[in-house]
Amino acid sequence: MKYGFLAALAAGAMLLTALPAMAHHSFAAEYDSHNVITLTGTISKVEWTNPHTYVYVDVKDASGNMTTWALEGYPPNTLKRTGFARAVLKEGDSITITAYKSKDGSNTGAGREITFPDGSKKFLGPEGR
Amino acid sequence: MPAAAQATGPVVHHPVPRTADGKPDMSGTWQAGGVSITGEAGAPPIHPLPPIDQHPIKREPLVYKPQYEARRKALTVLDDPTLECLLPGVPRIQTEPMPLEIVQTPKEIVVLYESFRAWRRIPINDKLEHSDDLTPTWMGDAVGRWEGDTFVVDTIGFNEKTWISGTGTVHSDKMHVVERYTLNNDGSLSWEARVEDPVALEKPYVTGATFRAPIGVRVEEYECIENNPDPTHMKKAAELDKAKK
Repeated sequence: MKYGFLAALAAGAMLLTALPAMAHHSFAAEYDSHNVITLTGTISKVEWTNPHTYVYVDVKDASGNMTTWALEGYPPNTLKRTGFARAVLKEGDSITITAYKSKDGSNTGAGREITFPDGSKKFLGPEGR
Repeated sequence: MPAAAQATGPVVHHPVPRTADGKPDMSGTWQAGGVSITGEAGAPPIHPLPPIDQHPIKREPLVYKPQYEARRKALTVLDDPTLECLLPGVPRIQTEPMPLEIVQTPKEIVVLYESFRAWRRIPINDKLEHSDDLTPTWMGDAVGRWEGDTFVVDTIGFNEKTWISGTGTVHSDKMHVVERYTLNNDGSLSWEARVEDPVALEKPYVTGATFRAPIGVRVEEYECIENNPDPTHMKKAAELDKAKK
């Protein structure tokens, strides 16, 4: 099972008392919550835009080919409210990011946890569902 | 709600704050849910929530008349107007995961929503009278009055383009929404909406939420149409899924 019992309990309580964390689109229609990828690369661009932020990461594969991935995150206001300062996402920084792969076959995904060069971690977007 | 989002300690009760004219003062920033007030599980909240009492929320299910039930079933998340950044309508906008601000005056109450940069202007009118020449709109025509310490909002004049709640929850232009806002003595705001639609629904739909005041949060700009590739990705994903079947 992907979730611990307490997390499932907390998620259930959320459904009863609150609502989904996504404002404007269905998660499952765009991303595969069972297809979690881990990418390590260099931030090439950051879009602080609505309805979502995007972090572009250049990832080199084993044969040296470069692929740019676009990872969607919470809207800028939400990121700020979770303590995610704009300054922490810098072009040229190396990061590792987990993401739920897009179902449309493109090199996009819903970003989840970023690990920064200093080892600190932050959530870019919600847990898949 | 993850425990991390809650400040610890006992619920503090205090008299409901009041405006100069003696009405409960609902002004301020409120939110019903979402990560910015609940925080991520395991992480301390940046904007903590004072503990509150449990407030019962009345709910009645959506029950459609056959023709509207068929319309509802034919729709998917790809048809969601908010996917294209269009206004969510009422009551749906109330529980979007972004804050709203209530601006209260003796003559009208204005609600500013971060979500989709929406706003509602609710003139106070003791007879709850609407204009007899309403142009159908996404957010409808709202009027309100105080019934004791509860602010009642009566909204009609909707177009047929918004969804009431979840996927495909359509309605007719005869939808009539009555909301009740009641400030609690623990710093929360109870909200209830009763949705009547004699054309689309068999019986009234009832929903509600307990709004909380996240500390240090204010409504910010959210220009949803700025950068929205999601519909394109979702449509492509749906085509691939269809081709697989």
